[in-house]
Amino acid sequence: MTEDHQQLQEHVAAYALDSLEEPERARMEAHVGTCERCTSRLDEYRAVLGSLPSGLEPSEPPAEAWTAMHAAARRRQPARGGMERIIPTTWRWATWPLAVGLAAGMLAWNVWLLREISVRPPGPDVEALARRPGRLVILTGTGVRGASARLLVAVDGRHGHLAIAGVRPLPPGRTYQLWFVPASATPVTGGTFVVDAGGRAWVSIMVPISLDDAHVIAITEEPSSGSSAPTGDYLVEAHTWR
Amino acid sequence: MSDSGYRDRRPRAGTGLDEPADLDLLGRMRSGDEAALEVLYKRYAGLVFTLALRIVGDRELAREVLQDAFLRCWDGRETYDAGRGRVPWWLIGIARNRAIDLLRSRPHQARLREGGILPGNARTSDPSPWEAADAVGLRRAITSALENLPMAQRRAIELAYYGGRTQSEIASELGEPLGTVKSWTREGMERLRVSLWPLIDPKREE
Repeated sequence: MTEDHQQLQEHVAAYALDSLEEPERARMEAHVGTCERCTSRLDEYRAVLGSLPSGLEPSEPPAEAWTAMHAAARRRQPARGGMERIIPTTWRWATWPLAVGLAAGMLAWNVWLLREISVRPPGPDVEALARRPGRLVILTGTGVRGASARLLVAVDGRHGHLAIAGVRPLPPGRTYQLWFVPASATPVTGGTFVVDAGGRAWVSIMVPISLDDAHVIAITEEPSSGSSAPTGDYLVEAHTWR
Repeated sequence: MSDSGYRDRRPRAGTGLDEPADLDLLGRMRSGDEAALEVLYKRYAGLVFTLALRIVGDRELAREVLQDAFLRCWDGRETYDAGRGRVPWWLIGIARNRAIDLLRSRPHQARLREGGILPGNARTSDPSPWEAADAVGLRRAITSALENLPMAQRRAIELAYYGGRTQSEIASELGEPLGTVKSWTREGMERLRVSLWPLIDPKREE
């Protein structure tokens, strides 16, 4: 056993507890992928940790928890896997028309979303929103010096308002677009908007994914019809929020 | 048999003639089978909620964690890896991560927890006689294993597991050197492993 391995082995327990900090965590992550002994020990520690809650005095969840979750589950479609195995060969001819239809649908959705977003001056809406418990995301101008934005998300996690300042008004044919970027996944649009002559906007938005699942929230410049994925650099972005 | 005399005689979830296995349920959930979701929920919601409540210290927040954990399993945001152990452990891991994220994002709840204000535990619904006996037996075995740890080791592990603290944060909170905390964590986890692994090893023979 090398000295390096011995040192890493001593961190397996803390790694199982997700209690290591960088760079030790990254070193352990790289190591367990190559060391059968440490992987085996890690699995045992994780099993032990998985059983610890069974040692707690049990608490029953409220009955309405299932009702609410069931309703939410019905609104969400689980990810499908193994579609290649499911789709019969005779249906493969439909793949390209379906893809074209999907792209057209996404374009239509972006157009609809653009119509749904209205530019409202701050006023009673801001007052009411500020009084409601929710979440605040502060975006800073990484691509545009001096630009900043505030994203206020209501307690339901879906409705929100975006206030932005410090970006330039765009010429015809161009727009700004809001993105929610999950980790290791395709960015999801939050809609497009334009700013006034002073480089400001206050828009209502629909948050397409849970903030807890977003890795980055950003704004880019796009064609006026919007894009299915960011085509420009992030002008204003946020990586952490409460 | 462990020192506590407990022997887990419970059948594995889904090994009864009329009970679908956890993996079957997950597979059916991937296809949108709501009935499978309900079975899995009824099987493990109590455990997940209990853990969430222990971490966040508030029934409403614990409910939020419970719902979020199962929804993440349902819509595919979390993917089960059989190599990582049993399905309930995976569920526990998801719920723990969500609960700690919630704890970190809501400082006032953290202060509630640190103040030692623990919500009262509701009584469970009546289990069958053998379920009650084995569940109580497992709980006693785990409790015994924790109580047999030196207090410092137990504290370090519980701060990490239920509090989501890093080793450095634990060292700072306890006023101890980082190396000492790492030793406590390592030695405590090893003691727990020796005590509990024989009870929970999925490959052990009855």
